[in-house]
Order: sequence, then C-alpha cells, then structure tokens
Amino acid sequence: MTEQVLLSMEDEVLENVQSEGAAEETAAETKERGKFGNAMRKAGNALKKFFKRIPSYLRTALRVFCGWFGFGVFGGPSNKKRKKIFFDVIGYVILIVGGVTMLYPFWWMFAASLAGPTYNANGEIATNALTNMITTIFWPANTSRFGLFYNYEQAITLLNSAWQTVTIGGQAYAFWRSVINTLLYSLIPVTVGVFTSASAAFAFAKLDFKGKNFVFFYCLAAIMVPFPSIMIAQFCVYSSIGWTDNGLAMIVPGCFGAIMTAFFIRQYLYGMPTAILEAAKIDGAGYWRQFVSFVIPLAKPAIMAQFILSFMGSWNNYLAPQVFITEDMWKPLTLAIGQLDTSYGTDVTNAPSVMAASVLALLPILILFAIFQKTIIGSIMLTGSKE
Amino acid sequence: MENNNVSLAQDVAAVEAADLTKPIPQKRKINRAKLQENIWGWIFVSALFIGTTVFTYIAFALSVWISFTDYDAYIMTTFWEGLGSIHPDGFWHWYQFMFTPEGILGIAGESEDFWNTLGTTCFYLIGIPIGMVLSLGIAVLMTRDIKLSGTFRVIYYIPTVASTVSIAVMWTNLFGDGGFMETVFGIDLLSAGGSYWPQRWCVIILTTWKGLGGTVVLFVAGLNGVNASYHEAAEIDGANAWSIFWRITMPQLYPTIFYVLVTSVIGGMQIFVEPNLIFGNYPATGNMATSGTRYNIPFVGYIFGVFNNGEWAHASALGIILAIIIFFLTLVQFALDARRDKV
Repeated sequence: MTEQVLLSMEDEVLENVQSEGAAEETAAETKERGKFGNAMRKAGNALKKFFKRIPSYLRTALRVFCGWFGFGVFGGPSNKKRKKIFFDVIGYVILIVGGVTMLYPFWWMFAASLAGPTYNANGEIATNALTNMITTIFWPANTSRFGLFYNYEQAITLLNSAWQTVTIGGQAYAFWRSVINTLLYSLIPVTVGVFTSASAAFAFAKLDFKGKNFVFFYCLAAIMVPFPSIMIAQFCVYSSIGWTDNGLAMIVPGCFGAIMTAFFIRQYLYGMPTAILEAAKIDGAGYWRQFVSFVIPLAKPAIMAQFILSFMGSWNNYLAPQVFITEDMWKPLTLAIGQLDTSYGTDVTNAPSVMAASVLALLPILILFAIFQKTIIGSIMLTGSKE
Repeated sequence: MENNNVSLAQDVAAVEAADLTKPIPQKRKINRAKLQENIWGWIFVSALFIGTTVFTYIAFALSVWISFTDYDAYIMTTFWEGLGSIHPDGFWHWYQFMFTPEGILGIAGESEDFWNTLGTTCFYLIGIPIGMVLSLGIAVLMTRDIKLSGTFRVIYYIPTVASTVSIAVMWTNLFGDGGFMETVFGIDLLSAGGSYWPQRWCVIILTTWKGLGGTVVLFVAGLNGVNASYHEAAEIDGANAWSIFWRITMPQLYPTIFYVLVTSVIGGMQIFVEPNLIFGNYPATGNMATSGTRYNIPFVGYIFGVFNNGEWAHASALGIILAIIIFFLTLVQFALDARRDKV
C-alpha cells in the first residue's frame, strides 16, 4: 500500500520534471512515445529471458567484469567513482582521437611540403617528388637534396612568376606583390571597418535617436542577402568606375563596416555601465569624446576579437577577389596559390612546392590564432557570431 | 530597445506638458540636448547605414534589374548600354531559361546544368546534420568536468581559421590517387574516375572537418549556459543521465541548435571555394579533370562560370534565384521553429 503511494508520488515528480523540460506535448506525440515505450518494454522482456538462459558461471564473470568498471549487473554493486573514471577514459580517448584528426592534416601538410625525389645509384630519379609527397605518413621518404627548405625557396620562385605581367625592372615579383595586396585588402578595410562598426555599435547601444530601431533592423536584414547574388551588380558598377583595375573594389566597401561586427560590439556595450558615460557627459565631454576616450578603451576586448576575426576572414577571402580583381598586379595571395595549384598541382617535380606555398599562406593566420586564441574563442562563445 | 522608446515617448510627453507651464528658454535647452543626441546618433551610424544601403540594397536592386536585361560582356561595352536593353524575349527570360532545353554560347546543355549544380549543392548540405551530431557529442564530452577542455577547444577550432585555399590544396593530395588515405586506409575518393559520388563525399568530409570546431565552441557555450539547478533537481528525483540529457539539456540547448542550423544552411547553399579548388572552374576543367567533375560543381560555381562566360544578365538572374532559395529555406526553418514553440 505505502509502496504504491510512494511510486505514484515518484511518477508525479518525474512528470513535473518532464513538463518543465519539454513543455506540453500533443496527444499524437504521447501516443507515439507510448508505442515506442511498448516496443522497448517488449525488447526488455526478451532480453530478460535471454539473460535467464545465461549459465551461472558466465553471469558471475560478467558481474565481476562489469563491477570492476562500476556497473552493477546481475545484482553486483554499482560504484559511482569507478563509473565516472570509465566514462572519463572513454571521453578522453574520443577527444584525443578527434584532436589528432584535427591536427594531423596540418603536420602532414608541413611534412609533405619538404618532400623531394629519391635518386638511385646512377643519379637518376627513382621515385619522383610527387609520389614521395603524397605517400608521406609522418615524414617524406626523401627530402629535397638541396636543403630541407628548398621547396619553400622554389615556391617563392614559382609564385613570383605566377603572372608574367607582374614585373619590376624585368624581375618577376608576383609573390611579394600578392603579399602586399593581401595585407592592403585585409589591414585597411578591417581597421577602418571595425572603427565605423564600433561607432555604429556605440550609437545603437548607448544613444537615443530617432529611427534607431529602424536603422538597426534595416542593417541587420542585409545579412540575408547572399554575396553571390549581388556580386555581379557590384562588379558591373566597380568596373565601370575603374575600381577593378586597382584593387579599390576590395578596399572601399569594407571601410563602411559590417553589421555583424557592429552587432557583436553592441552586445558587449550593453553590459557596460552607462554611469561612466553620464559622468563624462556631466564633465562636459561631447559624444565624439565619449566614444574615443571612453567607449573604445572600455570595449577593447570585443573590438580586438572582431578585428582579428575580420582580418582572418579577409586574409582567407577567395571568391570576392576572384570576381572583383581583373588585373594580375592586384591579385591577393589566395588567388596566387589557386593559380599555382592549377598549373603545378599534379606536376611531378613542383607539386611539393605548391604544398609549401599553401603552408606559407596558412602560417600567418595560425600564428595569429595561437596568440589570440583566448580572445577569439571567448568572443565566439559570448555571442555566437563566427565569420 | 522598446523600453527606451517608451521612455523616449514619456520624455517627449513630459516636455510637452512642461511647455504649457514653463517659460520658453528652458524648453529650447532641452530640445537642443535632444537634437544633439539625434544628430550624433545619425553621424555615428551614417557610415554603416550608407554602406549597407549602397553595397547591399542598391546592389541587390541593380542585380534584379540586370537580370531582366540581356547584358552580355562580349556584346555590350558599357554598363549603361547593358542596363538599357531589356531582354528581347521578355522580362522573365533568364528566369525561364533553366526550363528550356537549349545551350548557349556553344556549351551544350547549359540550362540543364542549373539542375545538376543545384542538386549538387543540396547534396553537399548532408554534411550539416553529420557535423551537428558529431560536434554535439564532442561538446558534451568537453563539458564533463575533465582537464584540458580549453586545449581541446583550441585544437578543434584550428581548422576553422585555416585558409580554405591551403586546406583544399592539401585535401586534393591527401585523398588523391595513391595518396595518404589510399595507402593507409585504402580509401580512394578523388581518383574514382567515372563515378562522382565518392568525389562529392570528399568535399563533405572536408567541410565537416573544417566546420566542426566552430559548432563545437558554440555548443560548449550553449551547454555551459544550461541551468544547473534543473539537473540537480532531476538527479534528486532519480532521473538517469540519458533522460536528463534528452528532457532537460536538449530543450535548453535548442536555441543554439536552431542558430547553428540556420547559419549553416545559409552558408552551405553558398559553398564554392572547396569544390572549386578541388574540381576546377565551371565549365572549364581544372587539374582534376574527369568526366564526373562537371557534376561536382556547386551552384555558386555555376554562377561564377556563367559570369566568367560574360553572360552577366544570366548570372544575375541565377544570383537572385539563389537569394530566393536561401530566403525560403530560412523562412521554412523559422516557421517550423514557430510551430514548435506553439505545441
């Protein structure tokens, strides 16, 4: 009698927990779950029958074995501590396997970029560089005989002549030119753009002006427009005013800021006390002064995170320069690598150099990430905006 | 924000009420402060406002307009000439083009490739649920109280920041003929010659691998935000870990899952760089020129190919179609979300 009461109470409590978690359910869903539950019960009964048929010595063995991991099976004791250790070990194994999967390709890339051909006794090529490169597992079968980093020198030479038109005094310098272009396309628009975005964020978060909501949602709705659907119109306009010949097409639009950046900094500024700004206002600081000497220093973590994220985005950008830049002179590094891959990607001697060039393009971003990983991941966790 | 508006309205009402009783100079003073705030507010947002208007909305309107014309780079020399000539077959010519069996400019079956490439893009979307399930599992493991979870987070995030171009070059060699994956695991995806399904899976593996870290970080943030007191209450009531996860953690994690789903579908429909670098441009052939390559081009790659071919009006129309598809997909997701809230 008491047992039944207790059981029904337990059911009620459980139901309460469920209703708190998953709100109410429709009749149809409950029915579905009922069916599922019945099936489970049948399966459970079948299992019980099956377990009954297991000979007793096997049962004992299983009980001891599972008990060692903390699972109480066949009446054995359940140990919470052991159970936790068991799950911890499984968790670590999965995470480490996943982590190796994430990191190993980068190591492979670096190792493969050092590959060179293998020569036989007569000094002829026995295995070519491409084969040595792609069969690399931890270290290539043979590195280049001209030095460990010969492929990197070769990569720069190849990149320099990626486009024949880019010369200075008869000397091809496409690699350095593309590096300069990449820096131009990432530093200028990102610096100016983050500043303008921060100013807009300040206005959205701390100022009260007519039409604020309208402007905010007007700008926010723009993220619904995908880039491929506006790039052709943009290209037509840019080419008719000559921006595609001198890289301005990659610089100017970014200087106007991005709504996602502004949105993130705005979220950050909401958490900032308004009292500081009011105090500054009373002391006679104008809005510009408030922005420059209070908001920017105080929102520095958010601004830094957005700066680095946008910088990485611009550095890795591929489609926009592919469409907007028509002159070889103004093409960024990503296009140079793509060009190299098309011409030498399957070349038996130069393929490792292409890999070396990819490592070169990757390195600055990885170093930046290593330095600022805390800021970047913290900012993504704070807002869920990743660009 | 709404509160601000209400308070603004109250302020205005108060000022209006004060007008009746107080002398004129004070009213002017208040107005000047308000006016200054208005002016500075607009100055601060002006750059973003102008940028959005010009580079997104006007560009979009122009795109729509261009899609009604027969603007062709090889025939028309100036932009204005292109804008001025409405397509002789009617406004909607480029929107009906994919239903016609014709090819254009010597490329046979071009209109047919609209469906091929769209289908390919949709196939590439398979990576999204796979990636979400994987990253949810990893995020759950990371939020158990284990050591080094911060280090794991950083490690998993590295592929996300890495340059896609470099990654694609590496992938071609990693999965290529006689490459690492073939020698070690016997998996040969890229050199499969006639069949293009394994080649597509190669791209899906790449995008899943690259996108995992970002989703993991978001899920970890979401899981950390789950209210711990519910867990404790359920534990005391005797719920096991499995039902705690499904009944308490998942409903609270739902907003994060929804956000990740919406953003990845929007991004997934615009996939371009990875297949483009592995399989080459449309319709020309890259270094992986096989008979299957044509069917691996994503929709944006098709737009880009049509654009490179000089058919700018056609490419604009395709872009607008892509925008409409993405808009409807997002709308459907939001509608499903709203229905779930109601139930």
